[in-house]
Amino acid sequence: MFEFLFSYPARVYEKGQFVLLAGWPAWALGLLGLALAAALAWPYIKSRRDSEVRVKGWQAGVLWGLQAAMALLLLSLLWQPALLVATLKPQQNVVAVIVDDSKSMAIADESGSQTRAAAAKEILNAGLLDELKKQFQVRLYKVGRSLERLEKVDDLQATQTATRLSDSLRGVAAESASVPVGAIVLLSDGGDNAGGIDLSTISEVRARRIPVHTVGLGREKYDRDLEIVSVDVPARALADSRITAQVTLRQTGYSKSKITLTLRDGSKILGQQQMVLKADGEPQTESILFNAGPAGPKALQIGVAPLDNEENRANNQVTRLVNVEATKPRILYIEGEPKWEYKFLRRALEDDKTVSITSMLRTTQNKIYRQGIADPKELESGFPDKAEDLFQYHGLIIGGVEIGYFTVAQQEMIRQFVDRRGGGLLFLGGRNALSDGGWGRSGLLDLVPVTITDRRDTFKRDRAKVELAVGGRDSLITRLVENPDANVERWKKLPELENYQETGAAKPGAVVLAESIIGGKRWPLLATQNYGRGRSAILASAGTWRWQMLQPLEDKSHEVFWAQLCRWLVTASPPRVLSSTPRQVLTDETKVQIRAEVRDKTYLPVSDAKVEARILLPDGSAEMIEMRPEPMAAGQYTATWDAEKPGAYVAEIVAKRGDEELGSDLFNFRREDGVAENFGSEQNRELLEKLSSQTGGVYYPRADAARLAKEVSYSEAGITVREAKDLWNLPIIFLVILLLRASEWMLRRKWGVV
Amino acid sequence: MRSRIWIFSLVLAFAVISVTYAQRGRRSFDDEDGPIINPPDANEKTEFTFARLRYPSGRSGGGYWGIRGSWSTDYPKADRQFVQGLRRLSRVHVRSVEEVVDLDTDEIFNHPWIYAVEVGHWDLNEKQAAKLREYLLKGGFLMVDDFHGSIEWELFTASLSRVFPDRPVIDLQNKEPVFHVLYDLDERFQIPGIVMFYSGQTWEQDGVEGKWRGVFDDQGRLMVGICHNMDIGDAWEHADMPRYPEHYASLAYRIGINYIMYAMTH
Repeated sequence: MFEFLFSYPARVYEKGQFVLLAGWPAWALGLLGLALAAALAWPYIKSRRDSEVRVKGWQAGVLWGLQAAMALLLLSLLWQPALLVATLKPQQNVVAVIVDDSKSMAIADESGSQTRAAAAKEILNAGLLDELKKQFQVRLYKVGRSLERLEKVDDLQATQTATRLSDSLRGVAAESASVPVGAIVLLSDGGDNAGGIDLSTISEVRARRIPVHTVGLGREKYDRDLEIVSVDVPARALADSRITAQVTLRQTGYSKSKITLTLRDGSKILGQQQMVLKADGEPQTESILFNAGPAGPKALQIGVAPLDNEENRANNQVTRLVNVEATKPRILYIEGEPKWEYKFLRRALEDDKTVSITSMLRTTQNKIYRQGIADPKELESGFPDKAEDLFQYHGLIIGGVEIGYFTVAQQEMIRQFVDRRGGGLLFLGGRNALSDGGWGRSGLLDLVPVTITDRRDTFKRDRAKVELAVGGRDSLITRLVENPDANVERWKKLPELENYQETGAAKPGAVVLAESIIGGKRWPLLATQNYGRGRSAILASAGTWRWQMLQPLEDKSHEVFWAQLCRWLVTASPPRVLSSTPRQVLTDETKVQIRAEVRDKTYLPVSDAKVEARILLPDGSAEMIEMRPEPMAAGQYTATWDAEKPGAYVAEIVAKRGDEELGSDLFNFRREDGVAENFGSEQNRELLEKLSSQTGGVYYPRADAARLAKEVSYSEAGITVREAKDLWNLPIIFLVILLLRASEWMLRRKWGVV
Repeated sequence: MRSRIWIFSLVLAFAVISVTYAQRGRRSFDDEDGPIINPPDANEKTEFTFARLRYPSGRSGGGYWGIRGSWSTDYPKADRQFVQGLRRLSRVHVRSVEEVVDLDTDEIFNHPWIYAVEVGHWDLNEKQAAKLREYLLKGGFLMVDDFHGSIEWELFTASLSRVFPDRPVIDLQNKEPVFHVLYDLDERFQIPGIVMFYSGQTWEQDGVEGKWRGVFDDQGRLMVGICHNMDIGDAWEHADMPRYPEHYASLAYRIGINYIMYAMTH
């Protein structure tokens, strides 16, 4: 209809520039128009002066308006209005037709159970290709893992295990340097699984003014499907520690159904979570709590069993890697006086396989009793006074020790332990702790997650009930039983604390996990916060030991609580050499990015180290890569490497400075092929539309694809000519003239004005 | 009128006695050395309390209240005199008066260290033995003292075997942490009670040699510290007696402090 009325496609009006071809000045048109309008008004003014006035003022105005509009329209046509538009010169330009050849194109969700690839072939063979060939040189490509020339459409197989749209667009854009590429036509479902189309690709295509026209294939929404959208699992875990996998899924057609999320290590089920599905299309996140088990690399499968009549069953499960470390992080616990909490804290961790505790207890004014020391020299002179001695620990617990016990240098070292070393610090309550120990006036006050005063009477030897705060409901530290609601109730049933310490509210950024309750008044009991590279916490009591003594012998809540708190304290404490990769599972990808952060014994960044990555391949062979320092980030080293074969890889990073070995670290990664195309398999119309609109192209649904041949020539890329499109002969103009005259005639008859 | 005066007098007397009793807070006792007066800080809330185990004694027909050979031997002077030393010689925040606990309530679980004396005469029933077993396995510590010779040993182990039927009693070696946690106590000797003033010997019955023994848990932690053929309680009690030799009292204090330190650290 638009083209019938306006003679040209809408795209001409979008791209064209309005001009007047007669060559007469536009101001003359305006002046003449005004004169004509005035001349047409004169008879009405004159007739108002006559005694025989038969028309009202407003009616005269309407009639004059209609006459003036038509006169002006006719007048403007004399100036020959037209649109100047750039069009591709016939047969002198190349149009690149790119067809998605990935596995997702084999999904039969087009009308009549036709595959997307078959639909693409049909569109091209049914005239589009011939129409394009009449005007341009057509280069046919297929895109999957890479961009390849295609001899004929029927060679499409839809078997490639990845779609790299970004790379293929760059490839075609690069070709435009040698051949005049006038436009790109992309037939795809938009399922890019190489991280989408990046801004630099868009910029490159835009810079060459090449419009990318897209033809969307495939259903935009399944009727019945469940897809795992993302799974977040920590890349590292301590042996036998409990960790959480955050699983986000989305579904259509199964709203209110009950499903079971399962987490497996091979055939062994490590965790399960029941859930009721929310509304269609709404992302839903659930957590699965599981035990990391013994040390070693783990490939975890997380997902849901296929549901009844599910249209895509291959997107219900993903793999994630977790490196369960054999190291046993060490915690230094300093206690200012003998107390039961000290004994029972040590006992709770004595059998723990994940953390070890080294303690120093001031038994008398001048004696320190050490336990859990690695050698007789350790802590022989008391609390460490060198950073390298303190920083060998991963966590630090400060019990009832007054601030004055530490020298100013030691106080600063404690801050750096958290801030720079990235260690975990826990403050415990006590008669010489926190406010009562003078910490309220110390420079380390900001390490305490709650506000404390400089009062000296905040430690109370009165029993206090405990309850979880809102922040503790889903915390791994406070999880005594799996079910969150049951856990809240479990905490209410814990024996009273033997004592508590009054503190202020949590500081901004801190989270209160549990509260002590005395006479209806609540005090923060357990609060945590992140601080610098590390984290700190407060347990404002020295009386959790009653949980051990006042509960049945087989009850393990005291041990579980302390193990979880101490694991939280140390799990994220980094080693001196810390390696990582942004994506541990490469789904149909080959490039792996390796990063390493290198620090010395005092955890200052080292920028002059020699850092090498030794990669152990699935076939048992190894490759060495030298990592390069990042110029703008001290102590950071990076490298990129191609994982050519699918399988499991291990990267060991070793850092040296001269003959001194600074440390080493390792991580696992895995390349999986034939997986990515199963996810996000609905048509990604949003991506295709964005790509077209940002490059000056148009998105066409399959039904409108035939229009493409006519519109593709309006482009400013390649070899173009400026074409003037006349507007005087548009059917819409004749229609408007007719309407204006007819309206005037009708009104005159109605009002009796001849 | 006379009956009214009687009733009034009785009520008044009851009220006076009640108020006086309530103001005493903790009970004072007349021990062998005369009346013991509660110190002003008797009700102070502290980290550590000297908890004395009140157990049924064979001599008292299965009840708690024997005259001699019962749980209350040396009580309370030994306890109070000892904790003065503990206060002075360590950083333990300790109450000036003792607490008496038994195995018929759960109060014992609030005191992870308990002291039992004259256990050569204790007679625990199965329920009490089970509670003591639970207490010890959870982390409680029991120090036993002041029993002598083979007969009292047999009586002691009869009840102990009800507590731990399958855990052996082991002779403690010098290397045990309990002898080094605060004081190094490699040179230990038999600590006699004041009976030596009359008998002229440091032992009683056939317990000629002091024995340091113990029962351990599965992790190798000492749960029961057994001082056999010794009277450490007497040494604490009579440390202020000029006739009682200083070296016995000194070792008794150091032993007691080490056992408490061990209980508070292991």
